[in-house]
Amino acid sequence: MDIKKLSKKKNEGVTSLPSEERRKFLKMGFAVTGVFLGGSVLSLTSVQEAQGQRADVVPTEGQYPFEKHYAMVIRQDRCVDCERCLVACRETNHVPNHHDTWRTTIQEKLTISKEGFKEAIFRPVLCNQCNRPPCVRVCPTRATYKDKKTGIVMMDYKKCIGCKTCMSACPYNARYFNHDRYAVDKCNFCYDTRISKGETETACSAACPAQVRIFGDLLDKSGKVYGYLHTPDKTIWVLRPETGALPNVFYTNF
Amino acid sequence: MKRRTNNFLALLCILTLSTLLITANNALSTDQGSNEKYDEDTYGPAERIEFHHPAKQTFFDHPVHTLALGLECDSCHDGLFEMEAGAAEANDDFNMKSLAEGKYCGACHDGTTAFDANSNCGSCHTAPEDTIYFTKPVTAVIFDHTSHSGLGIGCEECHSELFKMKIGDAETKADFTMKYIYHDAKEVKYCGVCHNGEIAFPSTSRCNVCHIGVKGYNRAKGKTTGNGEDAGHH
Repeated sequence: MDIKKLSKKKNEGVTSLPSEERRKFLKMGFAVTGVFLGGSVLSLTSVQEAQGQRADVVPTEGQYPFEKHYAMVIRQDRCVDCERCLVACRETNHVPNHHDTWRTTIQEKLTISKEGFKEAIFRPVLCNQCNRPPCVRVCPTRATYKDKKTGIVMMDYKKCIGCKTCMSACPYNARYFNHDRYAVDKCNFCYDTRISKGETETACSAACPAQVRIFGDLLDKSGKVYGYLHTPDKTIWVLRPETGALPNVFYTNF
Repeated sequence: MKRRTNNFLALLCILTLSTLLITANNALSTDQGSNEKYDEDTYGPAERIEFHHPAKQTFFDHPVHTLALGLECDSCHDGLFEMEAGAAEANDDFNMKSLAEGKYCGACHDGTTAFDANSNCGSCHTAPEDTIYFTKPVTAVIFDHTSHSGLGIGCEECHSELFKMKIGDAETKADFTMKYIYHDAKEVKYCGVCHNGEIAFPSTSRCNVCHIGVKGYNRAKGKTTGNGEDAGHH
């Protein structure tokens, strides 16, 4: 707002809402939930509120930007950190066995429950295959790119000059420098090693004994991923939504 | 409310125990005279004997048997036990099976002379204090005897129907998986028998109270390296 114009405005005081705010509220009210209920019910709840938090993170049904839209749902509370997924990933994708080189890892948070039990929370993390990937945006040689056919953020190892800018740009710390390849490496949903060869699951999801990692194509309406993301009363969240990267790895507790 | 009941129970226990102790003390003093020293030649070693083989934390108390019950040395020595320390432990047949056949402690602990060797486990055995770490089928699941026996659960509730008293035995079984531990399974086994939501918290919840993962296991075992934790590379 122009500060000169603002200074000429009449003081609206502090006891009532400024007219600007009132106008905003009305605008929000016009996007009514009545539309979602076939127009039969009129309510002044905003669209965003009606869809809940999910509206921010779950892609709208039918609006997937890729030919195949691979995604993963992680049922976080089922993870017991047995790390079979990590072993399977290293074997399948030849990831060197060092603590700071991983395509997927499991984070741990130690808590004490209300009843006094020591209880850990385990959270598997991997590349989120973002729809607006910050790593792709910063790559000076276009060695990393968003694959239009699969929605996977891929690496062209030959083009990588090892500047590691993508590593600092990634909000999820999901990239590492592979000394064997002399290029940055990252999770690609096992596209080269499994999915392109006809497998339906990534190495990590196939190795999981507790079905924590559900992998699939969002466009497959009979698929589990579609089912999890489009069940209305289930809470779905993503990591670091504030970055606006629109990740394709979703978390839930059921 | 619950805490208050617990406090009350604890207080009651303490009161009962102290009354018992005072009575026992009085009885001893009248018998022996309070200043008289415990005579090891008459009553055997004053200290508790701990057996390590075949099971750790198995105890025998001479004073309970001699001083309090009036048994003579030759009631057991050398017919049942040689006097030399560790002699019984060296024998292959020094186990519960032999006791049931009337050997060693079983000569008296047959249910008529003294309590049956197959009962009152906790009179001679104490539960292991060390945490048990299961690493199969997944790494790692913890079990604490102390947190369970503290709830007043007797050994026989789990041993030996649900779990054999042998380290690593359950892990060799193909059915030692969550499929049989979940309380809604057709055939519930192992932990699931109590962890069903009625007796204890259900096995379908609070996974990570028992499942500590590879990270928890490495921490407990003092390992800084484990899967993917190969140090020294940058």
